Amino acid sequence: MSIIQLTNLKKKFGTNEVLQGIDLTVNKSEVVVLMGPSGSGKSTLLRCLTFLEEPTEGVIQIGQQEVAAGEKTSRKRKNEIKELRKRTGFVFQQFNLFPHKTAIENVMEGPIVVQGVEREEARKLAKSLLEKVGLGERCDHYPSQLSGGQQQRVAIARALSMKPMVMLYDEPTSALDPELVREVLQVMKDLAQEGMTMVVVTHEMNFAKEVADRVIFMDGGVIVEEGTSEEIFNCPKEERTKRFLMRVKEE
Amino acid sequence: MDISIIIESLPTLLNATLMTIFLAVVSILIALLLGFFTALARISKIKLLDAIASLYVSIFRGTPLLVQIFVIYYGLPQVNIELDPIPSGILALSLNAGAYLSESFRASILSVDKGQMEASVSLGMTYWQALRRIILPQSLRIAIPTMSNSFIVLIKDTSLISVITVTELLQMSSLLIAKTFEPLTIYLLAAALYWIIITVFSVMLDRLEKRTSQHIAL
Repeated sequence: MSIIQLTNLKKKFGTNEVLQGIDLTVNKSEVVVLMGPSGSGKSTLLRCLTFLEEPTEGVIQIGQQEVAAGEKTSRKRKNEIKELRKRTGFVFQQFNLFPHKTAIENVMEGPIVVQGVEREEARKLAKSLLEKVGLGERCDHYPSQLSGGQQQRVAIARALSMKPMVMLYDEPTSALDPELVREVLQVMKDLAQEGMTMVVVTHEMNFAKEVADRVIFMDGGVIVEEGTSEEIFNCPKEERTKRFLMRVKEE
Repeated sequence: MDISIIIESLPTLLNATLMTIFLAVVSILIALLLGFFTALARISKIKLLDAIASLYVSIFRGTPLLVQIFVIYYGLPQVNIELDPIPSGILALSLNAGAYLSESFRASILSVDKGQMEASVSLGMTYWQALRRIILPQSLRIAIPTMSNSFIVLIKDTSLISVITVTELLQMSSLLIAKTFEPLTIYLLAAALYWIIITVFSVMLDRLEKRTSQHIAL
């Protein structure tokens, strides 16, 4: 069963075509890792999925909700986009936690405001999610009192609070000090093992090797090649993929 | 300088000081509301709202407060809008301060990282929910220093209301001088009283700023 279905997704910034017609299907419980040099369009692809960027052309379907790009804004369309967003949990490179709210309030916010859940119930759910990401002891800390890794784990719990069908991660460990990367990847791995569907933009090869069902290599706004992590890392077919992997390995 | 003049004038001047504080506090409260909604209009996607708000800000920042006071108090009666001195003064002061405040509110709303809006809508919030729950609480805290500053300017600006016969601190001083012929003593006393009110409010607002800005990354 497919969770995400993209048809001919295009995105232009002025005359610069950042996505040149992407077709992609992500199945239930699948973990897809998107890799590619910077400027290859992988983050834009992820952001277009929930209309954080408005795509220029194409159709996006998440679950049963389908939204076509480039249509005029109307109340109906706004609601459809909202439905897409409710089905997806988005994790940002810069965490984007709400700095004026504690960890637990960050996680309670979506259920209370969007789903109208009672405060006490939201608190229970948030508490269990923070425990799940290993931060049960840090509920009442403000983001400024947490390390980067802890903040990103709160952000993951916040995304999970809406019970999404799929989690989208936009370079979730790129802003972290090296010693904090592992704790965030571990939380993501655990989620994958529980059967969460995920699309991850990352340069973490080890994570891709251990967790990804499929690795997609993008460059210049197109999918250059895709396959299992073994196929992509051990015997890439395309010249561009080989060059990229050489560069990443050198780092 | 005659010490007995100070002692005799002080109760009257203190009373007038209360009037000054009253004018400043009422005006700043109205100005805060006005500035807040004007800022929302300025960032709104509805062009007409933005245009009206811009015009208001431009007029009240681009003309002297004293002229605004004259237009409201002496000018408006000609079109049958007659306001007493105190409401006229409050109206002029709030419209003027509201225009300045709206600009600092707008800047503080725009200064909140755009990732905050993205994170909010990603949870499924509407634009307005995100604005109300996430963006505004942060931007209001960012705006506290400029709000404090506006308030202090406003306290001083209340002295301009003396020209339309409101017996606030400055007007009362002039009345006392007419009786005592001691301009230096009385005006210095008035200056001292302004200085005391402003210092007290500054300290209070500083505390408020420290308390509220704790968890905001700037």
